[in-house]
This record gives sequence, structure tokens and C-alpha cells, in this order.
Amino acid sequence: MRQYEIMIIVDPEVDDRQVASSLERFLSVITKDSGTVDNVDVWGRRRLAYEIKKRSEGVYVVVSFTAESATAKELDRQLGLSEQILRTKLLRPDAA
Amino acid sequence: MAKPVVRKPKKKANPLKAAKIDKIDYKDTALLRKFISDRGKIRARRVTGVSVQEQRLIAKAVKNAREMALLPYSSSAR
Repeated sequence: MRQYEIMIIVDPEVDDRQVASSLERFLSVITKDSGTVDNVDVWGRRRLAYEIKKRSEGVYVVVSFTAESATAKELDRQLGLSEQILRTKLLRPDAA
Repeated sequence: MAKPVVRKPKKKANPLKAAKIDKIDYKDTALLRKFISDRGKIRARRVTGVSVQEQRLIAKAVKNAREMALLPYSSSAR
């Protein structure tokens, strides 16, 4: 089990209330594989420094969790498949 | 014989120590902005005055922040 931190940029056209619920669906992958979601930090709307997929802003979410490496990879893969997610970054904060 | 002029460069105060920062995080854009120029380029170590190890962490953090559109790759100021 390892500590991970994933930053997710959600499409701004997704309704603000919907962000939390759709996120929960993605994060269920972690809990299903006996990992734990330690902290979910929704930054909210933020201007992007450059356009991504023609969007000039995005909803930033930072999630820290503990899981197996395969689980973390799977979460990143599933997020990448979603049309609602502009970008993700999966990092291990203690591996600097 | 003229004596060669030895210039002693003035040692810069380490800005990280001054701000009491022990962990460089790519999410802390306010901090990272101090280490990039107004065009978005990473400032050299001789300008920033941080240690080699810290400069490496800063560069990595800036690049991570760029990937997540927190910082610009280039901003055409001017």
C-alpha cells in the first residue's frame, strides 16, 4: 500500500454539484480494492494557464489516498477515459 | 604588473529559508511564481540564490505545475 495524490481537472461544463457525485463513482475503485480515500479537496473553478481541449478554465480537485499501485494506475486509466476529465496527474508525495 | 581584479560576488540570501519553506510543492503556485520570469521561464540559480538541490526540486515542481496548467509554458508578456 502506498500514499498517492492525484490532481484532476474536470471539464467546466460539468455542473458544480455533479462534480462531487461523479468523483465518488471514480473513487469507488479505491475502496473496492481495500484502499482508503484520505482527503478530497475541491479547489473549484480556476483559470487555466493555457487552453486544454478548447477550455480556458477547469474545476480542480486534489485527492490523496492510500492504495496498491495497480489500483492507483487503474483509477488514473479510468479517469483518462472519461470525457468529463480534462487532465490528471498521479503522484506519490513522499517520493520526491 | 597589475593585480588581477578579483570580484567577490555577493552571496544572496536564500529566499526559501527566508520564507521558512521545507517542502516544495507543485501546487503552491504563489511560491513557484517567484522562481519564474514574467515570460514564464525558470529563473537561473544565480538569480534565485537557492541551493543546487532546491533548484532541482523547484524546476521539477514548475514543470509539474505547467503540465496541470497552473503555470504557463510561455506567456507573451510584451
